Amino acid sequence: MSLRVLVVEDDREIRSMMQSSLTVEGFEVQTAVTLSEAGALLRHAPPDVVVLDLGLPDGDGVALVQQIRLNQSLPIIIVSARHQEAQKIQLLDAGADDYLVKPFSVGELLARIRVALRHRGTALAAAVTTHSLDDLHVDLATRTVQRAGETLHLTPTEFNLLARLVRNAGRVVTHRQLLTDVWGPEFTEHTHYLRLYMGQLRAKIERDPAEPRHLLTETGVGYRLAVA
Amino acid sequence: MNAPTPAPTGPSPLRSGFTIVGLLTLATFGSLWVDHQVSLTSQAMLYVLVVVIGAYSLPLVPSVVCAVGAVVAFNFFFVPPRFTLIVESRENLIALSAMLLVALVISHLADRLRCETAFANRNEQRARQLQELATQLANTNTVEDILQLGQQTLDAAFDGPVWLALRQPDGGLAFAAKMDSGLHDDLNDGLQCCMRENAVLGPGTGRWPGLNAWYLPLGNKGQMQGAVCIQNIAAADTPGREHAQAVCAQLGQTLWRLRLTTAMQETEAESKRQQVQSTFLAAISHDLRTPLAAVVGAASSLQTQRDKLSPAEQDKLLASILREASYLSTVTENTLQLVQLTNTTQPLQRDWESMEEIVGSVLARLRARDPTRRIKSKVPEGLPLIRANPVLVAQLLANLLDNALKYSDDAIDLVVSADHATLQVSVKDRGNAIAPDQYQAIFEPYSRNDQSGQRGAGLGLALCRAIAQAHGGELGVRRRQGGGNCFTFSMPVDPQQPQGAPP
Repeated sequence: MSLRVLVVEDDREIRSMMQSSLTVEGFEVQTAVTLSEAGALLRHAPPDVVVLDLGLPDGDGVALVQQIRLNQSLPIIIVSARHQEAQKIQLLDAGADDYLVKPFSVGELLARIRVALRHRGTALAAAVTTHSLDDLHVDLATRTVQRAGETLHLTPTEFNLLARLVRNAGRVVTHRQLLTDVWGPEFTEHTHYLRLYMGQLRAKIERDPAEPRHLLTETGVGYRLAVA
Repeated sequence: MNAPTPAPTGPSPLRSGFTIVGLLTLATFGSLWVDHQVSLTSQAMLYVLVVVIGAYSLPLVPSVVCAVGAVVAFNFFFVPPRFTLIVESRENLIALSAMLLVALVISHLADRLRCETAFANRNEQRARQLQELATQLANTNTVEDILQLGQQTLDAAFDGPVWLALRQPDGGLAFAAKMDSGLHDDLNDGLQCCMRENAVLGPGTGRWPGLNAWYLPLGNKGQMQGAVCIQNIAAADTPGREHAQAVCAQLGQTLWRLRLTTAMQETEAESKRQQVQSTFLAAISHDLRTPLAAVVGAASSLQTQRDKLSPAEQDKLLASILREASYLSTVTENTLQLVQLTNTTQPLQRDWESMEEIVGSVLARLRARDPTRRIKSKVPEGLPLIRANPVLVAQLLANLLDNALKYSDDAIDLVVSADHATLQVSVKDRGNAIAPDQYQAIFEPYSRNDQSGQRGAGLGLALCRAIAQAHGGELGVRRRQGGGNCFTFSMPVDPQQPQGAPP
């Protein structure tokens, strides 16, 4: 059975482009032009992934994301223009899984969908507890981090920060989400904690901290642990 | 500032009484002292003398009292029969009558003289005041200053109070001084009416003579700027009213001149802005049209001639479409950001950011266009955090690196350095050196240093400089030793770095 993708996009060209390229990849594609149409489709035939454009004619999508999150855990990927930073973060904090900046390539879109689906697939079975890329290995159960076979010593906060990213490997985690989960909900404005600790973490994990391979920065939004 | 006009009221009645009694006592004792040594006529002269002194130093009524008193005292003390008010001889009666008449005439003349002197003084003072006002108004450039000068001048010239009000664009009045609302309503009607009729209202003007105030317009018909109300004035004070009118005419003229100057400056700025905008639009449309033509050309070629093209040629066309389209996207993004940055007065949204992270994210984005890894970055450890908008700073660096990739074929160095006060990021290339006389022009929104034959992002550097300036920093360019250019972005480092996190 093929996976079903719901594309919510008001621009006809982009909608048909996404539809044809996703169909070619073997997805079953539904399309919606407005949020209300998307809401109706979600009730009748729940898809496996939602690709949601920002700035739809009937709203900003926050309500839709919240509505989906009430009872469904299906992945939601936001598509936005670069200058729509605030809205994008709002939707990510409301529970969207990831985002794409317009203009994007089909390759990027497929990669995001694959990462999102992998998480949902494993989320039902067991939470992600290990992460490996190149010579970096992280095991949350034994609290070990190894680079090229050598064990790295992280402080508890550094480890918690890395663990939070490992659990969402490949997906963006917003500043707010990281600060809330690692330091606590009263620290959501203290973005400088993140700058300092990510700097320390990079210095330990990365070969070239100025051009990171693992701990990627999503400028103005958050961080992402690379999976490929 | 102008000296206040002396109050027109003279000495108090009590003081005048004392003066009269004193003068008469003096004359009486003087006459008694020389009694029987000189003739009655000489004694009378002593009394006439004090009448003259009285007339000179006292207002009209007391001086008349003084004159009458002198005649009565002379009659009582010296005219036989002495110590009665009876006059026996006809000769003495004539003398007394003549003396009374002389005394009264002197009083009257002295009073007139005094009035005329005071009048001349006041006129001179007002003329000086007008002159000073004209000099001061010539150096005034704000409405507030003009109103303040007007208030000071009128306060000095009249007992007042004086109220100045400016006409607002909506037809209402804005008072220069605060007042309670009841007074406001009273004044408002009079001021509005005098502006409407373009005439002075109040006592002595024939319009609204029942008032206890003058209402004077500021400005002429068609260029009415406001109005003035002077309260507690005398109906007969025609010179005073004329003075007030002269002051108000000067104020009105200056306000009108200021308004004209402001309007002229606004028009000039607007026409300059439009000129810049149209040049800007011309530059943008050039920057958009060229890549669009390439995209349309390549796409239409694929659509109509695909069968005749080899797979390699088709790939080349597709690559060109992608490249041109992504260039279009960059130009659009730059244009949008530049317009946003230059048209907003809102402060930048800033946060604590790490330059290392920003460099990392920019490099991650740019490596796709830099397959041979020509960009070499050098970022030291332990950089201070900066208060910045990360999206904008990332765009600045991306534009600089993009340009370097485009205009040179050799290695490009990206170097970050910092001390306690400044953070610097330099992008150094080995491309053709930019001529020093172009150093300003390349940062203009609509210029392009197009000697390399490559298409440039006409707005890229203009946006970079705008971003640098929005962060309180600078973007400069200099010639690099050994050939090439070095663009340096520097911005201040907040000496108060944020407190570290709890471990």
